[in-house]
Amino acid sequence: MKTNLRLALVLSLLAAAVPPAAAASSGPAHELMLCVSVSSRGQVIGSRARAKSGIYRTTDRRELTHLGYNHPRIDSLTRDPHQPGVLLAAGLNGVLRLREDGSSWRILTGWEMTEGKKVVVDPGVPGRIYAALPDGIALSENGGLTWRRSNEGIARRYTQALVLDRSAPARLIAGTERGIYLSEDRAASWRAVQPSRATVNDLRQSPHDPRVVLAATQSDGAWRSADGGRTWSRLEAVPTTSTLHNIDVDATDARRMALSGWGIGVLVTEDGGATWVARNAGLPNANVWRVGIDPDFPGRLYCSPHESAIHVSEDFGRTWKPLWFEAVTVWDFVFLPRR
Amino acid sequence: MKPTATLRRLAAVLVLASASLAAAAAPVPVADLASDREAAYLARVREVVAWRAGMVNLQDPGQGDLAAIAAKLLRGEDADWCSRRVIELMKEPAGDMFWMFPCVAVAFTGREGLSTEAKAAIREAWRTYMPQRGDTENHWVMYYTSLYLMSELWPGEPGERWFTGKSSDENREEAKAFLLHWIDLTTTRGQGEYDCTHYIGEYAIPMLYLSAWARDPAMRLRGGMMLDYVLADFAVENLDGSYVGAHARTDDRGVLETWNNLSSFFAWLFFGNCPPPPGYGGWGNYFAIAAHHYRLPEVVHRIATDRSQPYLHRELKRTRHRWRNSEVRNAPVYKTTYVTRDYAVGSDQGGLLQPIQHHSWDVTWAVPNPRGVHNTMFSVQAHFSAFELQMYFTEFPDWMPEAVTYQGKPSYNKEDKLLGGSPHEQIFQETDTVVSLTDVPAGSTFEHVNGFFSKDLAPMEEDASGWIFAQGGNAYLAYRPLAPYRWVAMASGDRRLVSASRKNGTILQAASVSEFADFEAFKAAIRALPLTVRLEPAPRVELTTLRGRRVVCEYGATPTVDGRPVDYGAWPLFGGPFLNADRDSRKLKLTHGRLERELDFVTLTVTDRVREPGR
Repeated sequence: MKTNLRLALVLSLLAAAVPPAAAASSGPAHELMLCVSVSSRGQVIGSRARAKSGIYRTTDRRELTHLGYNHPRIDSLTRDPHQPGVLLAAGLNGVLRLREDGSSWRILTGWEMTEGKKVVVDPGVPGRIYAALPDGIALSENGGLTWRRSNEGIARRYTQALVLDRSAPARLIAGTERGIYLSEDRAASWRAVQPSRATVNDLRQSPHDPRVVLAATQSDGAWRSADGGRTWSRLEAVPTTSTLHNIDVDATDARRMALSGWGIGVLVTEDGGATWVARNAGLPNANVWRVGIDPDFPGRLYCSPHESAIHVSEDFGRTWKPLWFEAVTVWDFVFLPRR
Repeated sequence: MKPTATLRRLAAVLVLASASLAAAAAPVPVADLASDREAAYLARVREVVAWRAGMVNLQDPGQGDLAAIAAKLLRGEDADWCSRRVIELMKEPAGDMFWMFPCVAVAFTGREGLSTEAKAAIREAWRTYMPQRGDTENHWVMYYTSLYLMSELWPGEPGERWFTGKSSDENREEAKAFLLHWIDLTTTRGQGEYDCTHYIGEYAIPMLYLSAWARDPAMRLRGGMMLDYVLADFAVENLDGSYVGAHARTDDRGVLETWNNLSSFFAWLFFGNCPPPPGYGGWGNYFAIAAHHYRLPEVVHRIATDRSQPYLHRELKRTRHRWRNSEVRNAPVYKTTYVTRDYAVGSDQGGLLQPIQHHSWDVTWAVPNPRGVHNTMFSVQAHFSAFELQMYFTEFPDWMPEAVTYQGKPSYNKEDKLLGGSPHEQIFQETDTVVSLTDVPAGSTFEHVNGFFSKDLAPMEEDASGWIFAQGGNAYLAYRPLAPYRWVAMASGDRRLVSASRKNGTILQAASVSEFADFEAFKAAIRALPLTVRLEPAPRVELTTLRGRRVVCEYGATPTVDGRPVDYGAWPLFGGPFLNADRDSRKLKLTHGRLERELDFVTLTVTDRVREPGR
């Protein structure tokens, strides 16, 4: 655990130390992966897609490369730390595995598991994969060959968000329809740690301190835990009147966070969450599907306003400009260390 | 004789036999003899195939979809064009499972006629294009039936050859597992997307394809049995080809013009009791491609067409999968349908039973020519909500209500909507009487009730008693709004009754014209019915129906008939004179007169019996 903590600290310090110009000259330390539905008004199953949806990658933050299939709905992805060059994605067709060059796709789950929302990999146990699904949490112990349910203790099982504690991989935190659940035995059992009126849409473990976990919810605002998800307190300055879609923490500055949501656009804090301000100047609307903070360029944000281009800000949301696409929905901005 | 030669000869016969479009528009008389029925059925099949094949302009390089190709392949014509067109279409696959089953149709119909290159193009598309599996029952049935059949067509191939990344064996086993699960669920707890006026095709087509093209005889048999099942389910609730009563899903057009649905294509094709809908229902073209492999059981035909005696039919269905906002995955749906020669009344119990396109109750009257006729009357509590959508879909809440209006459900969030269920509506039906009560909390998206009054009602009178009397065809109708209302003219020529009270409801009583000396007598009989209405604290109706039953309905309480509470726990999977099945039985018994067919999914057997008189 200490090694992981130290490693995270070193990585974040390194990332923070790289100024934008230096990062640009040597290339960013992370590649940015986009989970995108290219559709102005939402994807209709059975329709003819006009442009390629699915996974895009950029290593230089300029050129986007589409990876593999035109899959209209990929909700999230991650890298398999045990298999170099392998990504795992959660999407409408379930949990999928693909190579980072976009080849060799396989739908890992079967007919009984649909519409995956999140997939996480146990860094300490090869082949151990968890998936957040509309009907709960699924576990594979053999790299996705077979799956079983792992919901003991969760009554209403819709699960949108899932985090594996990088400092203690036996601990998982799940964002469900009725609140946040914690498992301390590798998902063998769960206990409710924070109720909610509606779905917990996102969970994010701080890159600076693994004990800090943040949550964005549909109807209860945002929460913060300082003890690895055991107890939670509301971020009082965040309104509870809008659906929050996700929350991100700036890897270069622990005081800076960003929230996206419907009707509130992008909310940011630069004082660790004490105060939050809307940063929507230059955005076409205040309905934002996703916000992401670039770990390689301090102050750079990406967001996905409704029916619009992906926008970028270089000044932590004070100004925005369109960057990629014309009208898309981004389900996740994922930053992976460059290989 | 080679199959291709057979097909060519058959095609020549088809051309001669196929009627002109004008002639095709006339209803086909109901044939009484089995041989006549079969001949008429096959003639209709040929008519559709010929029509679809004939729609193609070979000189237009951009024309010709997979249905046209399959039709031409079946007729053994323009083989070179078919192959070229397949290669072209396979360059840009799109449409998910709605692309998959047309591919199946072409691949199997073209086993002889397609070129090696065209077959290779199809094969390659199933590697390079990843269809979405979808998010609902009809999607999954289409997806997995198609995957099953293609994995049998291309056996022994490794995962690299499939978009799934799974081998042929893995794909086949996964698809089979889903299909067995779906059949099991349907025959124990009912369909989730039940009795759909359009989506019936999305079940009938896959089951037909299974019955026609599955190599595994067990799956082939299951396909045929499930096709019997789906069609029998429709047969018992059709009136001259219109799918009557409550539907898990219908659409804005079909809910008014009840014949103008894909379901009526099946009625025309199998029952011969209505004209075909325009374009043979669209997807009906794909059914026709393989329809010659299937014969409707005679007992189903007779159930569909015999309206000599009124009958009461009950069904248990279930909701689609509920992901959120519910304690149960699939809630039960209790359906009641009463069918006569002149009209049919059908309903479910109300509530959020399906998202988006739910239709809770109606009366449908028989018409000699249904084209353009809005032969129905019903009311809905106008409702839409992100709560409902999140119950059934795994999406964020805010955009969904508007998003679905761009996805073929334009009325979803409109105040004048005539389609969709409401959590604030409770419905009960006793033979041909419907009582719908609504209790809408303040602040709901809409608080009013919309009643649909067809342009084709004549006469229609607002009575001082509070009843609205009307006649549709040979049906007399009495509609009683429980709160003040106003009229809104519709562009279609119909009228919408808008009743704004949050505590509200509708009573509908139907009867045949032949039961009364005249309209005045009907009105007098209705006025004389003992009726007590109360809206506070909860809407409550106490009514003695035209059939002499004392019905008490109170919002939030179990309805009673003649003092006895309705026993929903005893509701059968199917119950009535024609279709009978117990819950969890995995069996369905079809009965008409002396004819009987039992579909037994436990032993995978089909048993036909003819009861001898006196035994």
